[in-house]
Amino acid sequence: MTEKPLKEVRKLPPCRAACPAHVNVQAYVALIQRGKFNEAVEVIRRDLPFPAICGRVCFSPCEDACARVNLDQAVAIRALKRLVADIEREQGRVVAQPVPKKYSEKVAIIGAGPAGLTAAYELAKLGYPVTVFERMAEPGGMMRYCIPDFRLEKFVVANEIAYIKDLGVEIKTGVEFGKDITIESLKKDGYKAIFIAIGTQTGMKLNVPGEDLEGVINAVDFLRAIALGKKITVGERVAVIGGGNTAIDAARTAKKLGAKEVMILYRRSREEMPALPHEVELAEKDGIKFYFLVAPKQIIGENGRVKAVECLRMRLGEPDESGRRRPIPIAFSEHQYEVDMVIPALGQVVEESVLPPELLSKDKRGPPLQVDPLTLETNIPGVFAGGDVATGPASIIEAVGAGKRAAISIHRYLRDEDLRKDRDEEKIEETTWVKDWRLLEKKERRYEPPIEKPHLSFEEAKAYLEKLKRQARFEAFRCLGCGPCAECLASMELCEGDKAVVDESKCVGCNVCAVICPVGAVKKNEKGVAQVNEELCKGCGLCAARCPERAISMQKLSNEQILTMILTALER
Amino acid sequence: MSQDSHPPRIVCFMCNWAFCEEEMRIPYNVDVIRVMCIGRMDPALVLETFIKGFEGVMLVGCKPPDCHFVDGNLHAERAVKMLKKLLALAGLEPERLKLLLVAPLEERAFSHYAKEFSEEIWRLGNSPLKKDEFIANLTAAKEAASAFRLRVLLGREEELTEFMNAYGEKIPEEEFDALLDDVVKAEYIRYKIHYLTRIKPRSVKELAQILGLKPFAVLRHITNMRRKGMIALDRVEGYTPLYKALEVR
Repeated sequence: MTEKPLKEVRKLPPCRAACPAHVNVQAYVALIQRGKFNEAVEVIRRDLPFPAICGRVCFSPCEDACARVNLDQAVAIRALKRLVADIEREQGRVVAQPVPKKYSEKVAIIGAGPAGLTAAYELAKLGYPVTVFERMAEPGGMMRYCIPDFRLEKFVVANEIAYIKDLGVEIKTGVEFGKDITIESLKKDGYKAIFIAIGTQTGMKLNVPGEDLEGVINAVDFLRAIALGKKITVGERVAVIGGGNTAIDAARTAKKLGAKEVMILYRRSREEMPALPHEVELAEKDGIKFYFLVAPKQIIGENGRVKAVECLRMRLGEPDESGRRRPIPIAFSEHQYEVDMVIPALGQVVEESVLPPELLSKDKRGPPLQVDPLTLETNIPGVFAGGDVATGPASIIEAVGAGKRAAISIHRYLRDEDLRKDRDEEKIEETTWVKDWRLLEKKERRYEPPIEKPHLSFEEAKAYLEKLKRQARFEAFRCLGCGPCAECLASMELCEGDKAVVDESKCVGCNVCAVICPVGAVKKNEKGVAQVNEELCKGCGLCAARCPERAISMQKLSNEQILTMILTALER
Repeated sequence: MSQDSHPPRIVCFMCNWAFCEEEMRIPYNVDVIRVMCIGRMDPALVLETFIKGFEGVMLVGCKPPDCHFVDGNLHAERAVKMLKKLLALAGLEPERLKLLLVAPLEERAFSHYAKEFSEEIWRLGNSPLKKDEFIANLTAAKEAASAFRLRVLLGREEELTEFMNAYGEKIPEEEFDALLDDVVKAEYIRYKIHYLTRIKPRSVKELAQILGLKPFAVLRHITNMRRKGMIALDRVEGYTPLYKALEVR
């Protein structure tokens, strides 16, 4: 399967433009329409090595951008991705063919999180020998150690990483950056390029008195300890402080571990919560209480253990630089929540101690690392950094995007090419050329992923899967296909590169083609002759079927071609 | 009527997005030709298929509102409506053409529909027309379907009936249907005349007899055709003018 490089396809549908990894959404949704689920996963894997993971926990910027929102509701892109990835896995693990090593330059990647693994994946596909170094016992980073099992199963992560390993990526676990290896030692070992993707591992501190009391545990440490299988005694009444996904994860985990009452304290209101609305709903269903507009002032202890959190009420002021309204404390509004466990989940910061000092930026207020946002170069040549470590805590899909950018930069750096040429990713044009919204009918969502797997017998399970598949196809048909032909190569023999061609000597300018064309690719030009915009044309051939003067014909599946097929069929 | 022991030859034009997940089981008298969208089927091509010798044509597309190309299936519906009118005029049973729109959730397999249609065609038997008559009528229908007037009307139907025309009017569907009826009939007769006079020059009276029309109606069509450069006076035999078809572009 080949695909035009991104820079040639200047116009992208909004879903693909919004995705930091630019996954070809339209293509795989089209494949799902045709019931080609395995091919759909292949298309996802061209841009994203984690279809099953992102199908579960991605915050789906694609759905937010979906043009269908203007009409009814976005296409359930994430749910579809999850389904196709799950179907593929259920059929047995897909073993990728190792890519032959085309180049000899070794590349070292530090950190086996989403950014590091994606960079490794992309570089291995290009043919570089890649080694990934990971401090923990298992690769996966936050995907493995911070997202609880009920949201993202460990075997899913292991499965996706196994695919990356199949390609020939070497992953060395239990190697700590800054201790076992350094940039100098890696260079001495013959690594020509280094990508630092260590993420943000340390939970941010509350900075209130009483933080060292027994029973205060940071959300990241809490989740990591559980993922490692350590025994943690959860209190009866737990307060989680923060409003992000980590806070929700920690609260739900605590509840599932047996806490009687779990509350989330957040200093802004519900609208400003960075957590996914869907996750918040699930947390509410689990019986977790939310207290908004409260911020901890101090943690009160008794005999060295947490007894209560004292909080201040807040009100919202002017929007700050993140666009959210700044909380302002209300004086003398102190009140207490009786708890025996406090889990701060305020976000994470980079462990600056492991990084070489020359990489750190001098400006302490800005991001900790000095990294070119486009090429991800640091101020040491041959050393790149990206992902959370450069941007602060973000999402998996953004890390994947950074990994891909790093891979391109490293490839160009090693091949002595210009790192900046044609890298105008920001300039990607977004298009929706649904010609006429009045033509479209409203269709509500037809597929929602099941929250819990039903317990079914073998026969039932088969029928259930068939039902899900059909629903998914039905849902995929809601896609408007805003972009030009997405090159899914769904049916190579038919649609690949089929374009309408106008015979200008025949055209009389009746404008029927412009009326017929569903994507508005045919227009009359200043000469009064129909002109096909090749960028938009999807090759459906509706114009060729209706042109009154038969001035439009298709390049591939022309009327003559169909006639030949009819005659061949007759002779059979 | 059929004592024919051969099952009818059927061709099935199928949308790329219909019945695409499973291996299709196709009865041996049916041929499947995949097209990008069922709306892509040129009406003239469908008639051409009949001329070439197929006894039934099935068009398979997606059920509205689902279409990969927004409204290609609706275009197909309009084309089939017109084609059935043309087939009826040509004296062939309109049932020989079938448009099947299936949802992606279709329970039944393609073979089920194909068999059903086969049996239907088998029951209809051979075409009621004689060989040369069949060719003449179907060619006239095909040429009418390839000509400007019908195609423009077909192409603009959606615009005229659902939105507004250039004068800000919206044509009700029934009115459009009546209009289409008239145009289809007129176009069919003109192209039949064209076909007949192509073989040899004929008089109005002779044409009227073959077409089963009043001579003045034929003359009106001929006047119209002369204006369009489709036909010309060949010679006058006695007092009877004979007309001959001209090459049309």
